[in-house]
Amino acid sequence: MSVVPERQSGGAGGTSGLYDVLELVLDRGLVIDAFVRVSLVGIEILKIDIRVVVASVDTYLRFAEACNRLDLEAGPHRSPGLPDLVGEVTESGARGKAKGALSGAAQTVTDALGQAREKGESRVRRATGSRKDKEESE
Amino acid sequence: MTTYVYGIARDERADPAGPPEPHELPEGLTGVGDPPRPVRVVGGGGLAAVVSDCPERLRPKRRDLLAHQRVLAEVGRWATVLPMRFGSVSDSDEKVRAVLAEHAERYREQLDRLTGRVEYNVKAVHREEVVLHLVLAGNAELRALAAANRATGGGSYEERLRFGELVAHGVREREVRDAALVEDSLRPLAEECRPGPESAGWFVNLSFLLTRPAAERLLTTAAGLEKSHPQLDLKVHGPLPPYSFVTP
Repeated sequence: MSVVPERQSGGAGGTSGLYDVLELVLDRGLVIDAFVRVSLVGIEILKIDIRVVVASVDTYLRFAEACNRLDLEAGPHRSPGLPDLVGEVTESGARGKAKGALSGAAQTVTDALGQAREKGESRVRRATGSRKDKEESE
Repeated sequence: MTTYVYGIARDERADPAGPPEPHELPEGLTGVGDPPRPVRVVGGGGLAAVVSDCPERLRPKRRDLLAHQRVLAEVGRWATVLPMRFGSVSDSDEKVRAVLAEHAERYREQLDRLTGRVEYNVKAVHREEVVLHLVLAGNAELRALAAANRATGGGSYEERLRFGELVAHGVREREVRDAALVEDSLRPLAEECRPGPESAGWFVNLSFLLTRPAAERLLTTAAGLEKSHPQLDLKVHGPLPPYSFVTP
């Protein structure tokens, strides 16, 4: 679980979990008719529904590949949540396998939002290429 | 010069017409713009709008979104504040005062309701390997397919596609179950619960309005959920200004 204490993240460089909070800053909060709202042109990236990606052919193939790698002999009939399952996942993480599709897809949007995270932060794992908008990273 | 509005708090200054007292705003607090504009207070109707000058051609850049959030977090240290949505701009300070005076009662009611409360946003994704293991563990047919595919070096393209689709279906079923688990576990702790904005790809995205003690329980409960259900990856954000619990 990642807990982000927002009040400690307001300082320079405190951009962990930025995307998670920005959607609230952009979509929630008080709107008063007498005030004008700044145009949100240029930030449509936030509106991309990344679940579309999860239901794609690519995902099916990747799930199939991932299942092939799973060590079912380790205990297919065991109830979920046993400690050995946790150990297995930790171990596979240590071997540097790519992170899963679900959180990986979320990560893509996080990155695409515009290099929200500081350079060198270990959570940045993917480049997103074409969607990057240099200006948004200012 | 237009005025950028961050939020609305109670104005408890001895002289509402005077400048903010030292304890009311952190020294050197700045907001949107490059260079960042100094944050100040505009009072009216017993309320205080937290504002700054608005730079020309303000756009929703990362720096400015962060500044908006940071100002509200800082003000939230000493006052209950109704957070504005990003990008709220008034023609002038005078118009801000007029809006405060016109709707003072409504804003004060909301401030009373939200005093001592904070928002926590909770998102959930699955840890892929764990959830795949769970899906296979719960479905003998899928396990047999997996074994057959593996025996033939992974199976043909069509076989892998078909198998992967079945697995994806199982993952989505698990998402529905786990979403209910997370919501049922956390919701009783909160005074209010609202779905988060729909833009994201999480299978749980909920905002909770909580008292401080309840917030502690939320963190404990969330950590316990992850421990007992290792497929869950929960992202808990807070305390936040009550973005999701203000009404116009």
